[in-house]
Amino acid sequence: MARAKIHVGLEIGTSKVCMVVGEVKSDGSVKILGLGTSKSAGVRKGEICDYSKIRECVDDARMKAEEASDVEIGSVFLSVSGAHIQSINNVGTYRLPDNEKQIQPEHIAEANDIAKDINIGAEHVYLHNILRNYRVDGFEHSSSPIGLFGKTLETDFHVVTGIGTRIQNSIKCVRELQMDVDDVVFAPIATAQLALNRTERERGALLIDIGGGTTDYALYLNGCIAASGCIPAGGEHITNDIHMLTGLSFSKAEGLKIKEGDASGDQSRSVGAIKIPVDEKGFSQQEVKREVLNEVIRQRLIEILTLVRKRLPPGSEDLIGTGIFLSGGSSLMRGLDTLTYQVFQRSIYRAEAAEISGVQANFKDPQYATALGLIRYAQLADLEKQNTAPKGLVRFWPFRRR
Amino acid sequence: MIEFTKDQQNTIPSSLVKIIGLGGAGANMLDRVALDGMEGAEMLALNADIRTLSGSVASERIQLGRNLTKGLGTGGDPDLGQKVMMEAEKEVRSAIKGRKIVFLCVGLGGGTGSGGAPILTRIAREEGAFVVVFATMPFGFEGRRRREQAETALNELAVLSNALVVFDNNRMGELVLAKQGIHEAFSAGDRMISDSIKAVIRLVIRPGLIHVGLDELMTALRTTRSRCLFGSGMASGKDRASKALTNALSSPLLDKGALLKEAASVLVHICGGDDLTLYEIELLMQKLVKYVPAKAHVLFGAAIDTNMKDSLSITLISALPEEKLHSTTDDAERIVLAPTEGFEFDVNEEEPEAEPVEVETYSAPPVVQQAVVLAESAPVAEVTPVAPAVATSTIVSPTPLSAVTAPVQMKAPVIEPPTTAQIDDWIDLPSGGFAGNSERPFAEPVLDDPVSDFAHATPTPASVADAARELREALHAPIPAEPEEEPEVKAPDLGDLLEKTRTRFTPQESLFGGDARGKFADTEPNLVDGDDLDIPPFLRKKKK
Repeated sequence: MARAKIHVGLEIGTSKVCMVVGEVKSDGSVKILGLGTSKSAGVRKGEICDYSKIRECVDDARMKAEEASDVEIGSVFLSVSGAHIQSINNVGTYRLPDNEKQIQPEHIAEANDIAKDINIGAEHVYLHNILRNYRVDGFEHSSSPIGLFGKTLETDFHVVTGIGTRIQNSIKCVRELQMDVDDVVFAPIATAQLALNRTERERGALLIDIGGGTTDYALYLNGCIAASGCIPAGGEHITNDIHMLTGLSFSKAEGLKIKEGDASGDQSRSVGAIKIPVDEKGFSQQEVKREVLNEVIRQRLIEILTLVRKRLPPGSEDLIGTGIFLSGGSSLMRGLDTLTYQVFQRSIYRAEAAEISGVQANFKDPQYATALGLIRYAQLADLEKQNTAPKGLVRFWPFRRR
Repeated sequence: MIEFTKDQQNTIPSSLVKIIGLGGAGANMLDRVALDGMEGAEMLALNADIRTLSGSVASERIQLGRNLTKGLGTGGDPDLGQKVMMEAEKEVRSAIKGRKIVFLCVGLGGGTGSGGAPILTRIAREEGAFVVVFATMPFGFEGRRRREQAETALNELAVLSNALVVFDNNRMGELVLAKQGIHEAFSAGDRMISDSIKAVIRLVIRPGLIHVGLDELMTALRTTRSRCLFGSGMASGKDRASKALTNALSSPLLDKGALLKEAASVLVHICGGDDLTLYEIELLMQKLVKYVPAKAHVLFGAAIDTNMKDSLSITLISALPEEKLHSTTDDAERIVLAPTEGFEFDVNEEEPEAEPVEVETYSAPPVVQQAVVLAESAPVAEVTPVAPAVATSTIVSPTPLSAVTAPVQMKAPVIEPPTTAQIDDWIDLPSGGFAGNSERPFAEPVLDDPVSDFAHATPTPASVADAARELREALHAPIPAEPEEEPEVKAPDLGDLLEKTRTRFTPQESLFGGDARGKFADTEPNLVDGDDLDIPPFLRKKKK
């Protein structure tokens, strides 16, 4: 196989547009060549609402990324998010004809079709159909059961869908900039590629990506994805809350949140007040009590995290053995680990990529986790294509095996 | 015109104040006080080490242990420290004679300081002085033995002195930045002590507009086994009142004002130049009320000192009983910072300390004399273990007895009830003060004046202030530990509080077009599980 291949990941987020150029070497290692970010405008809660503005932002990010990586960007892997994206687990059951005892590829295809055949609503389209498991006569097989003997074959899929027009519009926005979209990926699934390794998925891990306008999550149990979704609230809502309580401008509220906020609920960190210096417009010095600020932040984050918790399949929480991985810009909030622990009572990790080379600063920041995850996703999708293309079977095999 | 001279009864001329530095650390503190310029007050340096003593800037110096150590130090031996102090007792006594207030600066843990300070305090009390001891505790790295020596001395000082202010060297780090030199760290500690001394002197010697004097000082400090809470701040220029208060509260001894919450009585003294305005005082007291419990006895004083020019100083003095200190410190951090180990008393030493002035008016019944003699063998022996003969003579001698016997008497259970009663009588303080206080541990939210804080920010400052208070109370609502619980039950009282919060927010909501969504006001509702996520959680909780 295999020359080095260059992939580009593009995340159009609520707070920033991020484009990452990564090189997947022939030995499978990933090197980040460059990264371009631009503050985004025209995106609300993960969804584009002003196309001309966001086009400029994407273009800007592309230029920066091209400059940094010295690569001309022709196509990208695009991550999408937003409240319209839904996910469901569905099982397709296929009973083998009486005269056939051995499972054949076409049986699996049949079972897959049944599994994917769910009512997703007229405007929804499939984003991902991720194979979770095979079961032959009720017995789980994680690898392909072709050639095994059995009577009933079940395929368990995680199906992610979104409103077609919105996804199309995101794609159109990128295409208008003379870039092709290789694939559209639901953001937490991309992030998980980077943040969770196989062992962690086997033992059960929950990834929570708290971004600017959305909070995306993906739950992995027994090595395969069990739930994913998006809650349309994130860091921007914290800023808005602070703005509403204090009357500070958004930029100041944002600065206050980043510089001073603490979500841990530790009272010793809520002592005193923060002085907001006089600005040139003649506002006199304001003071914001730390305890007020922290409590506002804390309540918002508690709500977001409990919403995530409620969305998880019943009982799945107990199966999270590894713990919870936090990513996204808002995960930089001080004390979020403590708070998350208080909500979930699980170990908390920062989502970090271990096996990527390149300039460290580029990918240590959890803000870039999704865009970086797209590279990893691209690599795995590529690998998958090579392995299974001739058979044309399961596209998203890599989610189960790395 | 009729000349009216102010009654000088309660004011003390500065010549009646003596500042004593004992031992090496004490000499350093004294030097700092001298260098900062303390006009009027007399300084006395006491040390066994002749080299350190000769380097001192104090006007008066007494060498300890002229025959015992022959000009050398005590080598960290408190027993030797006691001996050298007793050797020089006559000299010291004559130096202190007639002084109304004695400030004793001492670094505990070594020989001269730990051994000599209790004896020196006793001598000063016998001479009728009000003794305020400023003691530093050794660093943790100096070892357990020094710490123990310091604690023993501290226990004795707590009983003997009128007021004991303890600085723990381990907390010096809060005064300076980590990368600053060690000399800066020490001088910052010394400066703090020097500021404290100056503030107390200013308090007692300046004739006040609203006067506070020795009597108020004693009231503020009247608690047994207490830790002195002390904060003093000075500021000038615009907004000097609140800046001075902030400075005062930033004293490590006050723990940012949090410790004041438990205080039963607080002495507040404000001193400013000619331009001190009533409005400033009002503002300052308004802010201070946030830190002091409503039931606390606030002893307020204000004075004009033309030397202050355009600056304003505020001094906060209070005392917190040791057990209160523990009850308020629910988090480990505060326990660490309090040098409370120093206050571990013997069981038989549980009596309140008495002020010398009062004790003089109190003639001990014959039973007490007996008790003193009985008590000598056990608890007093601890104070003067080396030379019981000498100690006995001082204590039993009839004339200077008053001061010394006071603490000793107290050890005798026989007279316990009358003494406490009497003291309560002398000092006009409601005896139920503490009990009432402890009932409301978090009575006063520690908030700066939110009205002014938010004055520019919002159209309804009062409502925000209230909301802030609610939020603060909500802070105490813990998240339940069980993850199984539904999020709604997570903070039941949180919801309640937020309910109130929300009603107060009504005017502000209308500001945002009737719907408190701020930035997201013009977007479609962001509904998740029936909640509009664009509305801040603290507002929404209520709608349900």
